[in-house]
Amino acid sequence: MSLAAEAFVSQIAAAEPWPENATLYQPLKEDQILLSDSASSLAVQTFLRMCGLPVEVSCRANAEYMSPSGKVPFIHVGNQVVSELGPIVQFTKAKGHALSDGLDDVQRAEMKAYMELVNNMLLTAELYIQWCDDSTSAEISRPRYSSPYSWPLNHVLAYQKQWEVRRKMNAIGWSGKSLEQVYEDVSQCCQALSQRLGTQPFFFNKQPTELDALVFGHLFTILTTQLTNDELAEKVKSYTNLLSFCHRIEQTYFKEPEREGQSSRHSKGALP
Amino acid sequence: MAAPSELFCWKSGLGLPSVNTDCLIVLVVQFESKHRHMLASLEHRSKFTRFRTPGEAPQKYNADYDLSAKEGADTLAFISLLEERLLPALIYALWIDPKNYVEVTRRWHGENMSFPFNFFLPGRMQNRQLERLRLIRGNDTLEAGEETEKELYHDALECLNLLSQRLGSNKFFFGDSPSSLDAYVFGHIAPLLKIRLPNCRLQQSLKNLDNLNTFCSNILNLYFPSESDEGSSHPVSGVQQSDDADNQPYKRRKQLLSVLVAVAAMLSYALLTGIVAIEHVHEEPVGRTSLRGSSHDEEEEV
Repeated sequence: MSLAAEAFVSQIAAAEPWPENATLYQPLKEDQILLSDSASSLAVQTFLRMCGLPVEVSCRANAEYMSPSGKVPFIHVGNQVVSELGPIVQFTKAKGHALSDGLDDVQRAEMKAYMELVNNMLLTAELYIQWCDDSTSAEISRPRYSSPYSWPLNHVLAYQKQWEVRRKMNAIGWSGKSLEQVYEDVSQCCQALSQRLGTQPFFFNKQPTELDALVFGHLFTILTTQLTNDELAEKVKSYTNLLSFCHRIEQTYFKEPEREGQSSRHSKGALP
Repeated sequence: MAAPSELFCWKSGLGLPSVNTDCLIVLVVQFESKHRHMLASLEHRSKFTRFRTPGEAPQKYNADYDLSAKEGADTLAFISLLEERLLPALIYALWIDPKNYVEVTRRWHGENMSFPFNFFLPGRMQNRQLERLRLIRGNDTLEAGEETEKELYHDALECLNLLSQRLGSNKFFFGDSPSSLDAYVFGHIAPLLKIRLPNCRLQQSLKNLDNLNTFCSNILNLYFPSESDEGSSHPVSGVQQSDDADNQPYKRRKQLLSVLVAVAAMLSYALLTGIVAIEHVHEEPVGRTSLRGSSHDEEEEV
């Protein structure tokens, strides 16, 4: 979002309270959504639950195209549409709900840095594994991504998306990496997160912040999603404090018996 | 005994030991690393400075042996922050902003590359940087302009403020000895601080963050004392003067050459089309010439 648009949205946001009919849009849960989008969506849902804001999850095949920035998930609140976790956090802050107000400047700097770490390493690794690894791309990503469409549109869209992601990987220097190196990067990232978390219940103080939501979204999705092999999940599982962190957040915020969003053919349903 | 390894870096210029961010980072890590290697020889090529190091190639995190686990984690996090927020603004300021690109970046690369590369390589590098910026930001229609600049610089300023808050009044990010995070931050901030860009609001904002300025100067003084001496003399002479002084000999030479070429072209055109003709007069002994000359004249008149 451009600066002017952001300021405008914040101003309008501050005027109204959070409505009851807020909706979050994501791709189809059963057949279409991929690992990276599912992780981002879960992160936003967790954040909103942590703030105590009600939101209804709606699955649409063209969610990606409806989104103002082209990325999912996005929320429709009142007469505004906001996509991606960063802008959504600012939007809710303008409405008077914030999780990170209790942090001092140094902690806020660290929080932002760790959020960038997750985006830079975990999200990029997920995208790499989905689209740059030939077997995963052919068996899982392309079929799932294009499942709502008929021939020949499904082939066109799938290959177009793959080409886009590969170009991006090239630009940031990841195209030269092998799958093993990517798994190693994921492991390093998890190690950093594990060391930062230590034995605390959340990353900062005793209160959760958007960083906790983001980390939970990604780690939970990695642990419960079936890919061509289990190596990614194994990397995460080797850090026990991260595993118990995920359990804790799941128990606290998603403790309905019929857990929404987590049971689908793509996901294994429960945490190991 | 391992074979000597070589490190190719962009050479020094514009007041820095190297004009490229990644090269700066590697250089600083190399110097910081505990298993320091002697730099046996330094060769300056047209664009590269080659460092020869006997022994193993430097490992990425050699400088981080003293860091605790948490500090190692913080390093990774802040490096990600730098690459997501500050790097796009740096690319924009050096390569995409039209005034900066033409006056500083393209000029330096053009001057430091051999013929004929200096004609097309800077342009190609600019296209590559623009595409890289577009892909990093996820915006395919990104163009040089007021709004892009504002957005990028806003993000970068936020990042710089965060770094400044994290650094506080310490000498380095983790206590008293430098680490790889210091190298990364230096590599990204030094070009913004030291290269004089005619059109960069970010530079002005950065100069207000005193602790980052001091941090940058510290590292320059510590590891690149020769560069910091050159850099410190420049501000004394003043920006415009030093620029003119550098370009003066080139400017005169270019003017002279172009005038000569123009005169030569005009002369050859004139000769070829016959506007000007050169007659070859054969010189003979004086007496005979005059008689002959006068008899010739008489004959012709008749």
